[in-house]
Amino acid sequence: MDWQALILSLQLAFVTLLILLPFGLLLGRWLAHTEVRYKAWIEGLVVLPLVLPPTVLGYYLLVSMGGGSPFGQWFAETFGFQLTFNFLGLVIASVIFNIPFLVQPIQRAFESIPRELGEAAAVSGLSKWQSFWRIEVLLAWPGILSGMVLTFVHTMGEFGVVLMVGGSIPGETKTIAISIYDRVQSFDLDGANQMAMMLLLLSLTAVVASFFASARLAVKR
Amino acid sequence: MTQHSPALQVSIEQTLPMPIKGYFQCESGQLLALVGPSGAGKTSLIRMLSGLMQPQQGKVIVGDEVWCDTEQNICLSPQSRHVGMVFQNYALMPHFDAIENVSLPLLHLPKAERIKQAKRWLDHVGLTDAEQHRKPADLSGGQQQRVAVARALAREPKLMLLDEPFSAVDQMNRQSLYRLLADLRRELAIPIILVTHDLNEARMLADQLVVIDNGQILQQGTPSDIYNAPRNARVADLVGIHNRFLGEWIGPSEQSGQGLLRWKGQGLSVAQQPVLQVRDKGRLPEGQPVNWVIPSDGISLIKKNEISQQNDFHAEVTESRHLGEINLLTLTIEEVPGAEFVLTLSGSFRKNLPVGTKLGIRLDLSLVHVMPIRADGQGKNRLKINKA
Repeated sequence: MDWQALILSLQLAFVTLLILLPFGLLLGRWLAHTEVRYKAWIEGLVVLPLVLPPTVLGYYLLVSMGGGSPFGQWFAETFGFQLTFNFLGLVIASVIFNIPFLVQPIQRAFESIPRELGEAAAVSGLSKWQSFWRIEVLLAWPGILSGMVLTFVHTMGEFGVVLMVGGSIPGETKTIAISIYDRVQSFDLDGANQMAMMLLLLSLTAVVASFFASARLAVKR
Repeated sequence: MTQHSPALQVSIEQTLPMPIKGYFQCESGQLLALVGPSGAGKTSLIRMLSGLMQPQQGKVIVGDEVWCDTEQNICLSPQSRHVGMVFQNYALMPHFDAIENVSLPLLHLPKAERIKQAKRWLDHVGLTDAEQHRKPADLSGGQQQRVAVARALAREPKLMLLDEPFSAVDQMNRQSLYRLLADLRRELAIPIILVTHDLNEARMLADQLVVIDNGQILQQGTPSDIYNAPRNARVADLVGIHNRFLGEWIGPSEQSGQGLLRWKGQGLSVAQQPVLQVRDKGRLPEGQPVNWVIPSDGISLIKKNEISQQNDFHAEVTESRHLGEINLLTLTIEEVPGAEFVLTLSGSFRKNLPVGTKLGIRLDLSLVHVMPIRADGQGKNRLKINKA
């Protein structure tokens, strides 16, 4: 059992979620209500990481963060280290490839709130912010929760993008999914099986628990 | 002495997204019903009053506050208007119990005070203590509506808006909600606007009716004003005046204040058409084609052998529809082919009038109301709007 890889994966999943959640809430809420003409483009971009092969996404992230790109150069000069093949780069990649897993359930949840509830809140004198926290987030909570669980579990299991951007540096970028791959490569099938089984059970438990919680949290209408 | 101005004045003129045009006003403590078919613009109008929608051009003045004046670029948000609004499906927050729902407009108060006031409003609309702790899904339609009314009251509104509040409530609850509304009207010294397509409801509850069709405010008046003197044929149709006939204005009669009206029937020569002596307001040119109406108060059924006066006609029952406690009776007039009267009858009297009965009908001509048919009348306008 590669505990180091497991802990790294858990850290990556937590940090990704922490960074992505506020952004996902605002973007999901905005997409649910906006009527701008270019909405389809934004929705397309949000879904893109879902339909692209992870290697394609990983390739572009690698190229754009690497020392050959203007951004990569600027970053290395300013902060003294490269984004590729370290934990921070992994976090950035992870945030980007998880956008659809968080934003889509959140958007659907906000969309399902009847418009007149927001109107009733406004007429009752609630500011947009009050209405967001007291009404909308509470009603969208099951969707937000399932988006959070999906994001977390998906980060734990992501392989292609992580390998492209981070490589396999123990304690820095070697996540549990990559560790499994390494074990299989070196014919340590028992070790691979242990970790694969654990990842499978962890994912299943998290998803099922989130479904139960969503059903319990869903408000009768 | 200051000049009196109405508590609510609304004038709107817009072409997009839907055409709405007209003016109406309402006094404090009055209940004004906006009536008209679905899609007439009623809901848009009250959204403009609540601030949820901004009119292209228009003014909304409540007391001495200007809530909206497009000329001066003023349009207050719903948050700063103090409107009590009861939504069509109540729009209660499903995750809050009744008390929390009613507390929403009271967020500026400390929590304990908020709950105290919310409970007071809920007591006021007649919700028991147990019901006050239930979520909307566990309350009946009537109870949900009471919560919605309490929430609107808790806003300490300067204007109360009720959007089809009775549409989702069964008949039994409706009666008790009518009483609630009547109580409210007595207590609240603010204008109350009720949107409804149910004319009986509007007539029963409202002090003032505003008739709206296709985005046009056609007429404002008391229910009896509108029923006795609809402005035009479209208003008469919309408020369900059945007894509307065609005629031609002959001109003033010898008696002062009276005029002569020729009642047009199908296939009658001019000489055969009955002439009625009715009130003359001196507004109509001679030869003007008109619609005329008579309220049911002005129609009496008499025996055949009592027919003696100029305003008595021979009638025959051609249809009698049994509608529970009442009968809807259709009568044709012998003297005027094509003219039909529709009357509702109740009590034992209706049983003696089966189809085929011949009898007399006496019209109280002082109640006849005459409306000119304009060449550029409603029909044409409607067509234009539909095309656009």
